[in-house]
Amino acid sequence: MEVIGDFFDANAISILNGVARGLLLFTMAVGLSLIFGLMDVLNLVHGAVFLLGAYIGFSLAPSGSSTLAFVLALGVALVAGIVLGGGLAATVRPLRGRGHLDQALLTLGLAFVLSDVISIIWGDDFRSLAPPPVLGGSVTVFGNAYPLYRLAVIVVGLVIAAAVYYAFERTDLGAVVRAAVSDRAMVSALGINTNVVLIGVFATGSALAAFGGLVGAPVLGVRPGLDWDVLILALIVVVVGGLGSIPGAFLGALLIGQVQALGVALFPDIAPFLLFGAMAAILLIRPQGLFGDVTAR
Amino acid sequence: MPQQPKDVSRRQFLQGVAFAAASITGLSACSDTEEAVTQATSRATGAAAPSATAAPSATAAATATATGTPAAGGGAPFKLGLMIPQSGTYASLGSDMQQGFQLYLDQNGGMLGGREVEVVAAETEANPEVGLRAARRLIEEEQVAVATGIVSSAVALGVKDIFGEAGTPLIISNAGADMVNLDPTLPNLFRTSFTNRQPNFALGQWAAGEFGGMAVAGIAPDYAAGQEHLQGFIDGFGSEVVTELFPPFGTTSDYQPFLTEIQQSGAEVVFAFFAGGEAITFVQQYTDFGLAGNLPLIGPGFLTDDGILEQQGQSAVGVRTALHYSPLLDNQVNADFDAAYRDAYGSSATTYAMQSYDAAQLIDLSLTDGDVDTSDSAAFSEALAGVGTIPSPRGEFSLDPETHDPIQQIYLREVQEVDGGLGNVVVEDLGEFEPLPQA
Repeated sequence: MEVIGDFFDANAISILNGVARGLLLFTMAVGLSLIFGLMDVLNLVHGAVFLLGAYIGFSLAPSGSSTLAFVLALGVALVAGIVLGGGLAATVRPLRGRGHLDQALLTLGLAFVLSDVISIIWGDDFRSLAPPPVLGGSVTVFGNAYPLYRLAVIVVGLVIAAAVYYAFERTDLGAVVRAAVSDRAMVSALGINTNVVLIGVFATGSALAAFGGLVGAPVLGVRPGLDWDVLILALIVVVVGGLGSIPGAFLGALLIGQVQALGVALFPDIAPFLLFGAMAAILLIRPQGLFGDVTAR
Repeated sequence: MPQQPKDVSRRQFLQGVAFAAASITGLSACSDTEEAVTQATSRATGAAAPSATAAPSATAAATATATGTPAAGGGAPFKLGLMIPQSGTYASLGSDMQQGFQLYLDQNGGMLGGREVEVVAAETEANPEVGLRAARRLIEEEQVAVATGIVSSAVALGVKDIFGEAGTPLIISNAGADMVNLDPTLPNLFRTSFTNRQPNFALGQWAAGEFGGMAVAGIAPDYAAGQEHLQGFIDGFGSEVVTELFPPFGTTSDYQPFLTEIQQSGAEVVFAFFAGGEAITFVQQYTDFGLAGNLPLIGPGFLTDDGILEQQGQSAVGVRTALHYSPLLDNQVNADFDAAYRDAYGSSATTYAMQSYDAAQLIDLSLTDGDVDTSDSAAFSEALAGVGTIPSPRGEFSLDPETHDPIQQIYLREVQEVDGGLGNVVVEDLGEFEPLPQA
C-alpha cells in the first residue's frame, strides 16, 4: 500500500492533469463519436471546429478581459459550432450512401479549407489565452500548486459528460435519435423528420467541439496545427472507446488523458509511442473498443 | 447489403484512419523537425544543419560572370540581396528585419557608403532548400554584390557553401548557431547578431555569483539549438545542473510533467530556453503550477522576447534573461534608433530590427572609403572585415577578426512593467563576450 501511496504522492498532479486533458478531449471526441457512430459520417472537420472555438476566444476574450467577455465568447463559440455543424450536415448529405472514403475525402477537404481560412484570418503566430479572471491563479492540491482553471475544466467536462449522457440515454429526444439510427424508415413513418435529427446531431457535436476548443484554449494554447493534433487524439479516443458510445468516449478520453500526462511523467523516453501503443493494445484485446457493441450493429 | 459486414467495415475503416493518422504523424516527425526547429527558433536561435551542397559548376560560372562585369569604382550603385522569410511563421521576424534594414537606408537617403543601393528581397521561409534557391537566384541571376538577412540557422548553414564558393559577402543578421562560420571559416561570411553560446555563457557566469552553491535545473527543447543554449549556460555556470530536461520539440503543449519533475528534483533555480509559442506556454505554465515566486527563472533573452511579452502577460514579470540588446537599453544611439523606428513603423524596435539595422550600418561603414569596388567580392569582404567598431544601438561592438562573429556586451534584463506594458529592463551589464567564450 505504501508503494501505491508514494506513487500517488509523486504523481498526483500528473494524474489530475490527465483528468483535465482527458475531459477536454471528451468534449471533442463525443461529437466525433456520435456523428460517426450514429450518423455514419466521419467528420474530419471536427478538429478545425475545435480550433475555431479557440480563436473565437482569442478574439472576443483576449487575455486581460473580463469574465463576462469569456462567457459571451463561449456563447458565440456554441452558436458558431451549431451553424457550422448544420452547414456540414447539409454538405455531406448528398454523399450519403456513397461510402466512407468519399465522405472522408469531402470532410478532409473541408477541414483543410477551414484550417486555411482560420490561418488567413488570425495568422500563423502562436497565441495564448488567459483564463477568465475569476478562475485565474492557482490553488494548493495535494500539497502542490495547481491552476484553478484546470480544476474548473474538470468540473465543466464532467457536467457536459453527464448532460450529454442524460440527453441521449434518458430523454425522448435522445430516444428519437437512437431510433433514427436503428431504423430510419420506421422513424420517418412515425412522422419525424429524420433529416432534422441528422442536422441536430451534427450541430450538437460541432457546438461541443467549438465549446471545447475555447475552454481548452488556456490549457492547450491557440495555434495553427492544434486542430490536427486534437483530431488525431479524438480519433484514438473514438477507436478506444467504441463507436457511438458516450460512456466509451468518456472512458476513452480519460484513459488517453492519463496516458499523455502520466506517460510523459513516468516514461519520458517512450512517451510518444505510449499513445498508439495503448490504442493497439485495446484493439488487440477488444477490437470493437471498450464500449463498442458488435452484435447490435 | 447485410447490416453486419457494413458496420464491421465501418469500424475497420475508422481504425484504418486512426492508424494512418498515427503513422503519418510518426513519419512526418522527421521532416517536421526541420520546420519545427525553425518554428520554435522563430525568435531566433539556431538549429539543425541540413547539408546543402551547392552545384559547383553553376556557382563557378556565376562567380565568373560576377567578376566579369565591368569594374565599378567608388560611388557605383550596387545590388543587395535581402534574405528573409516573407510568409509563414517567421513572417513577423522577417518584417522586423526588413524594417530595421530599411530604416537605416531611409536615414541615409537610400544610400550605403554614398552609393545607391538596389534591394532585392528573396524569400527564404525557414527552409534550407528554399533558402538555397534564394541564394542561387541572388548570386547567379541578380548578381548581388552582398546579401544579408537569414532568420534560421538551418538556412544559414544551408547557404553557407554556395556563398563560400561564389565569394559574395553574406552578413547574417539573425541565425545564431554557434558553428556557422567554423569548419571552414569563410572570409566572406559575417554576423551582426549573436551566437547561441554568447548570452547563455554570460548568464551562467552571472548565475554562478548570484546563485552560487544552489541547485539549478536546466530545460530546453530537444534539438540542436536547445542543447547549444543549455551547454553554453552550464559552461559559464561552471558546474553541472541537478537535472537536464529536454521536452520534445514542437509537440509539447503541456509542460506540467517537466515542471513537476523540476519541483521534485530539489532545484532552487531554473534555467530555461524556449522561443516563440513554446516560450509563451512555458512561462505561463511556470506561473500556473506555482514555480514562479519560489524558483527564480532565468534564460537567454528569447524566453521573454519583446515580440511575445504581451502574450505572456503578468507571468513573465520577474523573469531574468541575458541578451545583447533590449529596446530599453539606455544609450543615445539606441534612444535615437528606437525613436526613429517608432516614428517610421509605430511600434518599438526589436532585437531583429536592430541586428538588420546594424547589417546595413556595417555595409555603410565598409564603403566609406570610396575606392572599394563592390563588384570585387574579395575586396568588399576585406572592407567589411576591416570596419572595426560599430556604433550600434546595442552599444559599440566589433567583429571577431577570424570568424567575423560579434564581440559584444551582454546585458542582464528583467521583465518589469514599463509604461503600462511589459518590457525587458536592463538591470546589469554582464561585460563583453567573445563569440564562443570559454571558461
